[in-house]
Amino acid sequence: MQLKKLITLVTAASAAALLATSSLAQVSPARLLAAESEPGNWLIHHGDYDGQRYSELTQITQENVGDLELKWIWQVRSRDGAPEKFEATPLYVDGVLYTVSPPNDVIALDPSSGRVFWSYTYTPAPEARVCCGRVNRGLAIHGNKLFMGAIDGHLMALDTRNGRVLWDVSIGDPSLGYAITVAPLVIGDKVIVGPAGGEFGIRGFIAAYDVETGAELWKFNTIPGPGEPGFESWEDPAQEAWKLGGGSIWTTGTYDEELNLMYWGVGNPGPDWNGDSRPGDNLYTESVVALNPDTGELAWHYQYTPHDEMDYDATQVQVLADIDWNGQPRKVLMTANRNGVFYVLDRVTGEFLLGKPFVAVNWMDGFDESGRPNRALSPSEEGTFIMPNNQGATNWYPPSFSPKTGLFYVPTWLDTYSIYTKRPVEYVAGQTYVGAYPTMAMPALGVRLQNQRRPEEGQGAIQAINPQTGEIVWRHVMTEVTSSGVLSTATNLVFAGARDGYFYALNAATGEELWHLQTGGEVASGPMSFELDGKQYIAVNAGAGMFVFGLPE
Amino acid sequence: MKLSATRSLLAALLLGSVVMQATAQEHSYAPSDIENGRGLYQANCLGCHGNNGDSVDGVKLGSGRFRRASTDEDLIALIRTGIPNTLMIPRPQLAYGELRALVAFLRSMQTGGAVTASDEREVVIGDAGHGEELFFGKAQCSTCHGVNGGGSPLYQDLGGIGAQRSAASLETSLLDPMKEIREGERFYQVTDKNGASVQGKLMNQDRHSIQLLTLEERLQSFRTADLTAQGFIQTPMPAYLDVVSATDVSDLVAYLLSLKE
Repeated sequence: MQLKKLITLVTAASAAALLATSSLAQVSPARLLAAESEPGNWLIHHGDYDGQRYSELTQITQENVGDLELKWIWQVRSRDGAPEKFEATPLYVDGVLYTVSPPNDVIALDPSSGRVFWSYTYTPAPEARVCCGRVNRGLAIHGNKLFMGAIDGHLMALDTRNGRVLWDVSIGDPSLGYAITVAPLVIGDKVIVGPAGGEFGIRGFIAAYDVETGAELWKFNTIPGPGEPGFESWEDPAQEAWKLGGGSIWTTGTYDEELNLMYWGVGNPGPDWNGDSRPGDNLYTESVVALNPDTGELAWHYQYTPHDEMDYDATQVQVLADIDWNGQPRKVLMTANRNGVFYVLDRVTGEFLLGKPFVAVNWMDGFDESGRPNRALSPSEEGTFIMPNNQGATNWYPPSFSPKTGLFYVPTWLDTYSIYTKRPVEYVAGQTYVGAYPTMAMPALGVRLQNQRRPEEGQGAIQAINPQTGEIVWRHVMTEVTSSGVLSTATNLVFAGARDGYFYALNAATGEELWHLQTGGEVASGPMSFELDGKQYIAVNAGAGMFVFGLPE
Repeated sequence: MKLSATRSLLAALLLGSVVMQATAQEHSYAPSDIENGRGLYQANCLGCHGNNGDSVDGVKLGSGRFRRASTDEDLIALIRTGIPNTLMIPRPQLAYGELRALVAFLRSMQTGGAVTASDEREVVIGDAGHGEELFFGKAQCSTCHGVNGGGSPLYQDLGGIGAQRSAASLETSLLDPMKEIREGERFYQVTDKNGASVQGKLMNQDRHSIQLLTLEERLQSFRTADLTAQGFIQTPMPAYLDVVSATDVSDLVAYLLSLKE
């Protein structure tokens, strides 16, 4: 009897211990909410819900960053030719790095060696169509589940331990252009995404799915239909334009737990470059929408580019911070928009606080009192010279905000232009629904091996903006344009790269270059930082590889 | 601020296509087809292939050579069905006539009909035989340029130039070499801390280094940190009216146009 009791006790104790271990390994909603208390992990796509991409790790400093060395490289195994841009920001969770190699292969890596724990290969439906590359920007995690959206519009949950598919749902018809390139956002028991496809006449949305089953829980139409608020901003008499209105989602939203609001930037209206068929402001395209994550209910919106005809989107990260504003603490939202303007909004109410160009801009010439831009130019039949160009002053490349320096760091294409020509557009299901592509002095998507351009033909920079004034504090010009994200750290470092393959460490206060390495491929992803066995590392995806850097042993 | 020159660009394309018709050997397309094709190119192709058809690495639509197609019908089929697992999606919505027009425009790119063509003048085409004599003699073109070999690696080989450029564009290059100089043909100068300068064709550049093919025909790299000055310079090619007569220029144009292969 005694022995049996002892065995029972021992069994119960081991089970409890196992449970403790496994619950530690699981990523609970509470851990996600307290992500900033675990700077050694990178639990959320942007590092934290606030979208700051700021790491509290302090081992790599301005003094020793010059000694940073490559620890390992993991290279993408492509199945069908050269892989496209490797845009994902990895997650790092309790000793495992998770990333997505394009288009939709999920990899779990050993951070100490770069060896693969497991990989999962997803073959997107052949009818998948994406405007601008078969890319994926990353994953989300909840419990023992990883969530990935695929370019054929599928959203799936994988087991974090072996990559097994737990559920897989379709959120839109890929043959009509519905695709997922965004890293999902997990809040509570919901995983939240929206479709890309703004060049194919989709009707966009943001929707929440049950983390356990993939069942849809609510849906917010980024293009409101009859009876929904905002529908009045689609003013064509036939009331047809909204059905093909665009409003895609392709950068991950941010979240304020206290306000229980999340903030998503919405893409362009369709057709992109000819707005004749869609008179009106075309809500909620080109807007930030503040939504309640429990219900999908809209709290407020602000539209950056009303009735856009330049394809500027608003799919840049809506970064949250509590900063001093005219002597008072204020909960603000900051974003550097593809349209060339840096904005500060009150994130409680949506009130416009500041808008200031961070590159040469001529599509607008100031704001009215409510914060609505004065539109100066539109595409025309003979062609209109508009700054910035169609690729934009920045794009999906995630910026960073350092609460330590108080500066906002934005990857920039400096002072570019396009000729925007208006041409007739007809909708054909599954085909591009755009108008005439604007001309550009440099390729928007293609990356050439040689750069023989003059500076005025296009170059990039990392710029530091003071959000109090919108002034540019420093500018690190890089010869080549950039599709890199930015990471800032508590030791006043900024990490970012460029199309030419350079990856840099800069002084966050001055922009001075402290370290660089040539990766041999385009840096088109967000760098991140993590801690393993008490040591800080920096990881970035570049070209077809993941590069991990650390200090010498 | 609208681009006032844009209207004349349309006229330029139309005129350019007339020149093309006079010189094309195998294909003849209506100017209206080329113009329609230009619009279809802007709507369907320009986003990836760029203004000059060369934005996708390894693909030069303006070369007139296509890896997966040779005849017009091949091209039409390729555009209609797309290329699996690439950004080149199928375009079943394009009517056959539209596909013909798109192909007409693609073929016109070979003769300088880029989306942003700018040379609208009609030019005199002289005596190709005399042009050849000038090329290898008095005008000294062959000192730098080869024709299917024989020239310096610093300068463009002109074999096939007649199939790639219009007469007006060739004349412009002779009269004002810097006006239409292409991205990969530009010259650059770097100066180091001792005041020593090196010139060459700019092969590549970034924030930390410059790669030149120097005038001594050496591939050489320079660390930006070691330089006190750097920048683009005039091409070594002279403006030819300083060297030869206007008639000679038209003869050189005729010779260059004859270089189809």
